[in-house]
Amino acid sequence: MTLLSRRALLAASAGVLAAPVSTQIANAQTVKPRLTAISQWSAGSDGAAITALGKKFEEHGGLWQHSPVPGFTTEMMNKLRAQILAGDPPACSQLKGPEIEAWSKIAPTVNLDAIVAAAGYEKVVAPDLARIHKPGGKWAAMPLQIYRTNTLFVSKRAMDRVKADKLPTNWAEFNALAEKMKAAGIAYPLANGGSRPDDGQKFEASLAGISPTAYRAAIMNLDEKALKGPEMRAAFVQLRKLADWMDPNTASQAYAVHLPQFVAGDMGMMIQGGWAQGVLLNAGFKLDDFIIGPGPSDNGKPVFLLNADAFIFWQRKEADLQAGQKLMAQLVMDPAIQTMYSQITGSIPVRTDVDLSGPGWSDGQREAAATLKAAVAANQSVLSLAHNMAQENGMTAAMIDVITEYVKNRAITPDQAVARLSEAVEGAR
Amino acid sequence: MFSRRGLIAVLVWLLAAAYLVPMVVVLLNSVRTAQEIAQGSMIGWPKFWAFSNYAVAWSGFCIAQTCKGIAPYVVNSAAITLPATLISTLLGAVAGYAVSLWRFRGDRWIFGLVTLGVFLPEQMRLIPWTIVLRDLGLSNTLAGLVMIHSVQGLSFTALFCRNYYLSIPQELMKAARIDGAGFFRIFWRIVLPLSPPILVVTVIWQFTGIWNEFLYGVTFTTGTQQPITAALIALATSVADVPQYGVQNAAVVLAALPTMLVYLFGGRYFVRGLTAGAVK
Amino acid sequence: MSASLRAFTRRLPEFLVIWVPMLLSAGHVVVFTLWTTWVSFTPSTLMPTDGWVGLRNYTAVLGTRNWKIAFDNLLLFGFSFMLLTTLVGLALAILLDQRLRGENVLRAIFLYPLAVSFVVTGTVWSWLLNPGMGVQKLFNSLGWTDFRFDWLVNRDMAIWTVVIAAIWQASGFAMALFLAGLRSVDADLLKAAQIDGAGPLRTYTRVILPSLWPITVSVLVILLQFAIKTFDLVRALTEGGPGIATQLPALVVYDFMFQRGNLGRGSAAAVLMLLTLLAVLLPYAGWTYLQRRRAGA
Repeated sequence: MTLLSRRALLAASAGVLAAPVSTQIANAQTVKPRLTAISQWSAGSDGAAITALGKKFEEHGGLWQHSPVPGFTTEMMNKLRAQILAGDPPACSQLKGPEIEAWSKIAPTVNLDAIVAAAGYEKVVAPDLARIHKPGGKWAAMPLQIYRTNTLFVSKRAMDRVKADKLPTNWAEFNALAEKMKAAGIAYPLANGGSRPDDGQKFEASLAGISPTAYRAAIMNLDEKALKGPEMRAAFVQLRKLADWMDPNTASQAYAVHLPQFVAGDMGMMIQGGWAQGVLLNAGFKLDDFIIGPGPSDNGKPVFLLNADAFIFWQRKEADLQAGQKLMAQLVMDPAIQTMYSQITGSIPVRTDVDLSGPGWSDGQREAAATLKAAVAANQSVLSLAHNMAQENGMTAAMIDVITEYVKNRAITPDQAVARLSEAVEGAR
Repeated sequence: MFSRRGLIAVLVWLLAAAYLVPMVVVLLNSVRTAQEIAQGSMIGWPKFWAFSNYAVAWSGFCIAQTCKGIAPYVVNSAAITLPATLISTLLGAVAGYAVSLWRFRGDRWIFGLVTLGVFLPEQMRLIPWTIVLRDLGLSNTLAGLVMIHSVQGLSFTALFCRNYYLSIPQELMKAARIDGAGFFRIFWRIVLPLSPPILVVTVIWQFTGIWNEFLYGVTFTTGTQQPITAALIALATSVADVPQYGVQNAAVVLAALPTMLVYLFGGRYFVRGLTAGAVK
Repeated sequence: MSASLRAFTRRLPEFLVIWVPMLLSAGHVVVFTLWTTWVSFTPSTLMPTDGWVGLRNYTAVLGTRNWKIAFDNLLLFGFSFMLLTTLVGLALAILLDQRLRGENVLRAIFLYPLAVSFVVTGTVWSWLLNPGMGVQKLFNSLGWTDFRFDWLVNRDMAIWTVVIAAIWQASGFAMALFLAGLRSVDADLLKAAQIDGAGPLRTYTRVILPSLWPITVSVLVILLQFAIKTFDLVRALTEGGPGIATQLPALVVYDFMFQRGNLGRGSAAAVLMLLTLLAVLLPYAGWTYLQRRRAGA
C-alpha cells in the first residue's frame, strides 16, 4: 500500500512539473532552478536571442549562468570536452546534428521523454529533426530554431536589368536566368562566400534540388550505390555551373562581403541560409532590395534543407541544476518562447503549429515555414550536410574536402569528383 | 651623385613604409563605421571618422549579457601574462646559467629535452593539460593558465639564456669559484648583472606570446575570467550577423598596445645594452 | 657523515632551483609526447579511450589528401620561410648597422610585427593580398590594368602568401638578433682587419659574418619552431584554402583532433609531425656531436 501511494505521489508531482509552462512552473519549484550553459553565441542576433531566453528563464524564477565561448563551434566543443574531462559538464550546452548522438555516448545525458510527452511536443516537430535529438530513442536535446540552407535570394535590381519577373523554381530555370544575367553584363550571377560551409551549401542545394531521394540515400544514409549514382554526377555538373558563376577572388571571405554588389545588381543571386536576411538588414539594406524564395527543386515539390541549433542536457546531481534543466526544456518547447527566439534571429520556429501571420515575422520567414510544412508532407525535408546536420563532423569534413577542392579547381571533372567523394566516405568511416 | 649612405637610407625607409602598411590599414579601419566597411571594402580611407569605435571597444560592446567592452579582459590577460612572464624568465635565466656555466652531470640531456619543448604544437598539448589541470584541481583558474605558460615558456627562456651565457668567459667563473663563491653568489654577482639584454629578449618574447595566446585562454577559463584574445574573437565571429568591423579593429589596436609598448621600450634597451660593451 | 650531510643541505637550494623546473619542463615534454603517441594507437574519437588499433590511424591519416598536401607544404613553406626570413633579417640588420638617423624608429618599425598576434597578421594580409581589394586592385586602379597578384586565390601559389605574411611577422626578430651580433663583434678583430687594409665588403664577409654563426643557429631554431607550429596565421589568412591547398601539419592535427572529433587520427598526425621534425633535428644534433668530438671538448 505504501509503495503504491508513494509511486502515486511521484507521478502526481511529475505531472505537476510537466504541466503547461505559463501556469504551473512558478508554483511547482521548491528549489531555485539554476542553469549553467555554454554556447558559441556571444554576439550578434544569436547572442541577443540567447540573452533574451536567459531573461525569460530568470523571469520564471531561475538563475541563468550562460558562458559563451568565443570562437566557432570547435572552440565551444573543446570547452565542453575540457569540462566533461574535469567531471564538471555544464547543465546544458549547444550541440547539434549527429554530434548529439556521438557526444551522448561520452557522458550521461538527461532523459527528457517525460517532459516532452507531457507537452505533446513530438507531434509538432519534423520527424527527421526529432530523431536527431533522441539518441538511443530517448529525448536528450532540445532544438531551438530552424534555418533553411537552400534559400534563394535574388537581387531586385538584377532582375530588373534582365527584365525577369519570376523566381526560378527548378535548376533549369535557375541556369537560364543566370545565363541571361551574364549576357546582360552581370559578371557574377551568383554571390558566394569562400568558406567550406559555403561550398558545401552549393553542393547540397544542387543535389537536393535534383533529387531529394538520392540526397537522403547518399548523403544522409551513405548508401554506396547512391554515392556513385547518376544524381551525384548531375549534382557535380550543376555545382560546376554554379562555380563558374561565382567571383573567383573571394578567397576565404564570408559571403557578406558581396552583399553591396548583390544589392546593387552587380551580382544576381545568392543561395544562402535564411540568416542572410538578418545580415542584409543589419548591413543597412532594405527588404525590397531583394526577393526570397525556396531553393530550386526539379520535381515540382518543395525541398527544404534543414539546419537546427539545439541544446543537449548533461546529467548533474545538483537539485537546482536539475530543476533548471526542466525549466529550460519547458521554456524551449513553449510556442511563445520559440516565437520570441526566431523573431530575434530570423529563423523559423521548431514547432510546426506556430502562427506566423503576426507583425514580428517577415515574408521570408513565413515562406520558409510554409515550405517546411509542405516539404515534410512530401518527405522532401532533408538535413544539411554543410552545417553538420546530416553526418558527424568527421564524415562531413571529409566530404566537404572533396567538394571545396572541386569548386576551387576546374580541372577536376564531375566523374572524378564522384569517385573522390565515395573514397572520402570510405576513408572516414 | 647620391651618396651611398643616402641610397641606403632611402632603401631602408621604403622597406619601413612597406612594413607599416598592415598597421596603417588596421588603424584606418578602426575609425570607420561598420556599415561603411560592409558596404565598401576592408581597405579604404574613412569617409566618416568614427572615433567612438574606441570607446565602444573599450567599455561598450556586449559579449552575450556583459556589456563592458574589453576593459575587464585586459585585467585577466595581465593577471596571466605578468606572473607567467616573470616566472619563466627567472627560472629560464637560472636554468640557462646552470647548463652553460655551472654545469652538472646530465645537464646536456635534460637541457635537450627542455629545448624540445619549443617544438611541441599547442594542439597536441591541449588534452594532456586538461587532464593535468583536473588532477591538480586548477581547472578554470587563472593560476592554472599561469602554470601552463610558465612551464611551456621555460623551454624558450632557458634556450635563449643558455645561448647567451655561453659567451661569458669561463675565466670569470673559475676566478669566482676560486674565491669561494657558490652557485647563487655567482648568479647574483656575475651572471645577473650581465643579463639585461637577454632578459629583455625573453620578457618580450614571453609577454607577447602569452598575451596573444588564444587556444588555452579560451578552453581553460570561463566567462568574465577570459583573457583579451577571447574577447577579440568573440567580436569577430558571428555567422548570422555583419561583423562590427570598425569596433573590431579598434579592439585589436587596443589589445595590441601593451605588446607594442613592450617592444618600444624593450627594443631600445636591448641593443643599447649590448653596444655598451657589457659582454666582452 | 655529518660533513657530507651538511654539504648536501648547503647545496639543496641549488638542486631544487635547478632540477625542479627542469624536470617539470622536460617531464611535460616527455609525458605529453608519450601520451600523444599512446592515443595515436587507440580508437579514441571524441575522448581518449583505451584500446589498440595498431597502425590504422596512421594509414588513415597518411591516406588523406589533407596530409599529403600538408606535408609538401611544410617542406616548401618551412624551407623558404626559414631561408628568406634569415636573409631578410640579416639584410635589415646590416642596413641598420650603418648608424643611420632615426635608427630607434626604424628598429621599432621592423620589430613591431612580432607584437601583433598571428590571427591579426593573417587577417590583415588576407585583405592586402586579395586581388579584389588589396595590392592588385591598387595597381590596377593606378593604371597597370594588366598587373596581377592573385596568389591568394591560386591553388599553386597560395602557400607563398603564407610565406610572405610569415616573413613580415618574423624578420624583425631575426634582424634584432643579427643586429646585436653585428654590434658585438670583437673590436680587436675589426681593428686587425682595418690594419690589414680590408675594405667594408671584405670585413663583412671575412670577419663579421662568420662570427654570426652562433646567432644564426639561434635564429634558425626559432624560425623552425615558428614554421612547425604555424596554425593561427594560416587559419586567418587562407583557412587552409583555396580548397585545401594551404593545409599544414599543425592544421591537420587540430582539424582531426577537434573539428573532426577524432583524437586517434589527430594524435597520429601529431606524431608524424614530430617524426618529420626529428628527421631535421637528429642530423643536426649528430653533426654538433661530431664537431665537439673532433674539437676534443
